[in-house]
Amino acid sequence: MKVNQIYVNLPVKDVQKTKEFWTKIGFSINEQFSDDRAACVVLNDTSYVMFLQEDYFMTFTSKPVAKENTSQVIVAVGVNSREEVDKVVNTAVENGAWQHEEPEDYGWMYQNSFWDLDGHGWNITFADMSQMPTE
Amino acid sequence: MNINDIYVNLPVKDVQKTREFWTELGFSINEQFSNDKAICVVMKKDHIYTMFLKEEFFQTFTNRPFAKGDTTQVLLAIGVNSREEVDHMVKTAVEIGGSKYGEPVDYGWMYQNSFADLNGHQWEVMHGDASQMPAE
Repeated sequence: MKVNQIYVNLPVKDVQKTKEFWTKIGFSINEQFSDDRAACVVLNDTSYVMFLQEDYFMTFTSKPVAKENTSQVIVAVGVNSREEVDKVVNTAVENGAWQHEEPEDYGWMYQNSFWDLDGHGWNITFADMSQMPTE
Repeated sequence: MNINDIYVNLPVKDVQKTREFWTELGFSINEQFSNDKAICVVMKKDHIYTMFLKEEFFQTFTNRPFAKGDTTQVLLAIGVNSREEVDHMVKTAVEIGGSKYGEPVDYGWMYQNSFADLNGHQWEVMHGDASQMPAE
């Protein structure tokens, strides 16, 4: 079994601000799947994040929306270089996000992270699998 | 800007049971990234992975308490290759301990069904043909 694409759906307070945030970081928006209640951020041609206005998000679940003081998910995305990792996190922080821990350098993998405007956790990584130590 | 791959990280109570659940659904496990605290489910090789981390281990990556399953922070929608595959996955999930939280929805160009997994994480399984999406 395999999937052909994934849409990670996350609730947000302000769709327009969220759209500006992710655009500044450098991602494009799929306008076909976006409107005043939802912004579809294109991570690549198989992975998307749908940021849904909280009230709209709630129509898809019978459980209450998680408040910012808990974590149900941390999304990790791999980019092309260490420089890109830091650039994404720095740009995010300049635009209202905050860093949630120091960058970690495992040698074969470098990782930095931020909480976005709504407190969703993002890990930005660069990995060179050929350098991963075998146990 | 484009990413290379995505790893969705979710907390679970029992890594072994979670492994059995996703294996039953037909997914393979990346053993290189799996151990007794975590399993890495391959959703689309080289592109899309889900890491299920034992709650205590997940907790080490965040300074906030992990959600207990009574709230929703994320809905994960995954596209598969046919309507039959959508229903087969949901049916299998329910048979092995998952639960349904909504009815299937048929938009014509897209068909969607959903299940909550053993830990209450919500999955929307869909098959869509974007070329058939009605223009507004």
